[in-house]
Amino acid sequence: MTLPCQLTAIPRMEALSNDESWQHWFQLYGPKLLLCARQWTRSSADAEDVVQEAFVRFWRHQRHLPGEPLALLITSVRRAALDLARRDTRRSAREERADGGLDEPSPAFISPSDHDERRATMEAALARLPVEQREVLVLKIWGELTFEEIAAQLDLPPNTAASRYRYALTALRKELTAADCHG
Amino acid sequence: MDNSLDEFAELEAELKTLRPVVPSRELAARLATGLTPNRRSQPWWAWTALPAAAALTLGIFLARPSAPVVVANPAVVTTFRPVAAENVLYSARDEGYVTLEDGTPARRVRSNYVDTITWKNPRSNASLRWTVPREEVRVVPVSFQ
Repeated sequence: MTLPCQLTAIPRMEALSNDESWQHWFQLYGPKLLLCARQWTRSSADAEDVVQEAFVRFWRHQRHLPGEPLALLITSVRRAALDLARRDTRRSAREERADGGLDEPSPAFISPSDHDERRATMEAALARLPVEQREVLVLKIWGELTFEEIAAQLDLPPNTAASRYRYALTALRKELTAADCHG
Repeated sequence: MDNSLDEFAELEAELKTLRPVVPSRELAARLATGLTPNRRSQPWWAWTALPAAAALTLGIFLARPSAPVVVANPAVVTTFRPVAAENVLYSARDEGYVTLEDGTPARRVRSNYVDTITWKNPRSNASLRWTVPREEVRVVPVSFQ
């Protein structure tokens, strides 16, 4: 019986609905949601559209639901991104050419200061990871999801999610070690 | 399964120091617009619900043999009349427990229906069917004793 588990969520739901405004929530989770959205969209503008749709949907209909709010928000973001992708595939090739296709990649993280080369190297290494590894890494590190939750999001076996995470970290460490060696 | 990999703990900690870019002010402004209560958008079928309900009420009223309107305007009576109405439940989801404003725990159940209403013109035997989706959310107070 799952009743005790669900009951424990009630105090938090009260806190959500009574004490905190959407602005507080967006300040807290907006950057993480945007980073997740960027894993599944073609541009930063698309990512913001997806976050807007997902956040409005969450705030209106889902914020009182039991469960981990960030996980619910990420689910909402992914659903909105998939909806957008489906709409995009229906766009004609001509329309895509008129749009200019993908926009220039913009930074995913707050720019490090000039002397923080290590962080710049890390971000560059992250950008070079295969997409399927990077999305797992982003969901684990910044989305704070468990491997089970990541597996559910991406429709994967949990072991595959864990493997991709390990591959991603291995590749990152290799790149960063090489960068350290080359000064 | 879910434990972080010890050998990568240092790298994981370092990655967590990277802070994702903050969403633009434009996005925050769009959210403010979207989440303002008086600007809340309605589902498409909500705009048709009121006129449809009015039409249905009028139709039922006109269909009554003794209704004075029948005598006053017989032309209307010869038009379409509602002959059937059905509600089909196609999904119901228990969304778990919520807390009401007074602190009472409650269970929320979301149900989706398709309502179908059929009108018929008795003179020409022509029929008109109107189908609309409807979502119903029930909040049922519960007590744990």
